[in-house]
Amino acid sequence: MPNTSESTYEVEQGQSLWKDAFRRLKKNKLALFGACFLIFLTGISLITPLIAPYEYDAPDYRLGASGPSAEHWFGTDLIGRDLFTRILYGGRISLMVGFVATAVSLLVGVLYGATAGFLGGRTDSVMMRIVDIMYALPFTIFVIILMVFLGRNIILLFLAIGAVEWLTMARIVRSQILSLKEKEFVEAAISMGLSRFQILTRHLIPNTLGPVIVYTTLTIPNVMLLEAFLSFLGLGVQPPMSSWGLLIHDGADSMLESPWLLIYPSIALSLTLFSLNFLGDGLRDALDPRVAKD
Amino acid sequence: MKKIVLKRLLESIPVLWAIVTITFFLIRLAPGGPFDREKELDPQIQERIEAHYNLNAPLMEQYTDYMGGLLSGDFGPSFKNASSSVNELIAQSFPVSLELGFYALCVALLIGLTAGIIAALKPNSWQDYTPMTLAMIGICVPNFVLGPILLFIFGINLGWFPVSGWEEAVDKVLPSITLGAMYAAYIARLSRGGMLEVLSNDFIRTARAKGLSETRLILKHALRGGVTPVIAFLGPATAGLLSGSFVVETVFQIPGLGKLFVESAFNRDYTMILGTVILYATLILILNLISDLLLTWIDPRLRNA
Repeated sequence: MPNTSESTYEVEQGQSLWKDAFRRLKKNKLALFGACFLIFLTGISLITPLIAPYEYDAPDYRLGASGPSAEHWFGTDLIGRDLFTRILYGGRISLMVGFVATAVSLLVGVLYGATAGFLGGRTDSVMMRIVDIMYALPFTIFVIILMVFLGRNIILLFLAIGAVEWLTMARIVRSQILSLKEKEFVEAAISMGLSRFQILTRHLIPNTLGPVIVYTTLTIPNVMLLEAFLSFLGLGVQPPMSSWGLLIHDGADSMLESPWLLIYPSIALSLTLFSLNFLGDGLRDALDPRVAKD
Repeated sequence: MKKIVLKRLLESIPVLWAIVTITFFLIRLAPGGPFDREKELDPQIQERIEAHYNLNAPLMEQYTDYMGGLLSGDFGPSFKNASSSVNELIAQSFPVSLELGFYALCVALLIGLTAGIIAALKPNSWQDYTPMTLAMIGICVPNFVLGPILLFIFGINLGWFPVSGWEEAVDKVLPSITLGAMYAAYIARLSRGGMLEVLSNDFIRTARAKGLSETRLILKHALRGGVTPVIAFLGPATAGLLSGSFVVETVFQIPGLGKLFVESAFNRDYTMILGTVILYATLILILNLISDLLLTWIDPRLRNA
């Protein structure tokens, strides 16, 4: 079929959503910077144990808190642990929490939203009413209570954060599915005799990918922020393990004598959040040009 | 209108009940109790303390007792501050948090709206990029980073503001900015988006063509529509301010409810936790309702929806 000039045009059109989006994204320098930084950070996190100059929990009591030097790039903390190493390990935890908890929220949110939107009618309105009500709950408080009472382990942290963050995803996916299921390709799929489950998983959900990707990129910084917040309060990752929230908390305690303990972890966290937000913004502009940048 | 308010209020009752019940059983069924010590207490003493707080009664009985107390407005005694009731502790600390939240919201609205409107008037110029970059920084620097850094610069190095306390006006500057900064940033972005959308409408062009001054145009015609997204954001924002207050009150040593809640969670002070959860939940439900009502008031088109 694809022979005439008209059909090549069509082929281009057909592929152009992603190509086009990529072209637009490339023009956005900040988003590109964010993407590069994140790839770099993820790469580093994967090989942290190989490249970290010291052990994350090896103290050097003779050294104590020392400022940045040739041996210890970012200085050392109060009991002489290398801050650079601890930031690397903290980044590993932060990124892991960011990705895993976002994945949990993604899975729950997409399935819930898609089911609600696809079934429609009464089921839909009941399901979305539940989401509305949950929106109004003081979730941070529940997460704090959960972390205090059920022990501070990292699996629970994933689940607790994931359980909080799926609501918006469910709303976005539902509204997408609602409009998509009226489209002709769904009618075509029905007339080909596909089951409802097949239509949902093979035709509807893949078509919501754009907004889902955008919102996922914007969920990761929220999740990382929540982890850092909990660790800052002493409820997240437990010492001697390291996490950016924990390092910032310790740094704030000793910022008078050793300000570098506050400054470097803060920069690490902020720079990562920056990158994720810029990338998310850039992806939104690229994938959905109709939405004006807010 | 009245009907909607009534319906929403009635809907809140089962929600509140569910929150109280879930929290009640969650904290009681979880391992560890408020009177567990590193060193074990004399079992007799332990038993007497638990009897005093009705902790060795069957769970369901504790629950009905607590709910009975709640209905008459009694949150019970605090487990950790033996001399005070939860009602008293909340009455002491809640006004402090409320004040902090109010100032933070003022900071956020004042800075956020101004920055957003300025940015929207000259899109894609330096007047747009500067506030929007600042807003991005505001979103990416969390309050537990901003707080210590502000303290370090303005409290310790420059000595302009005290590092802790909550009595005089100067005490309140840094905490309010710390808590409000992130919301100022969100509001700036939202109001910029809202204003840009309104300013592209035909009625704005008409008003301009009729020779209306730019100030009048903004204040009388554009602002109303432009701030709608900000108002929709205020409900969730106030909920966020609450959890922000946990951090800010801890960093600045402010004797508010947020600090009290975190401490009581660590201490497993059952009644105190429940009391604060109920208060927070009620507050969030009410604030969401108010923000929805404001929204329909400012945009009458939503009334029929």
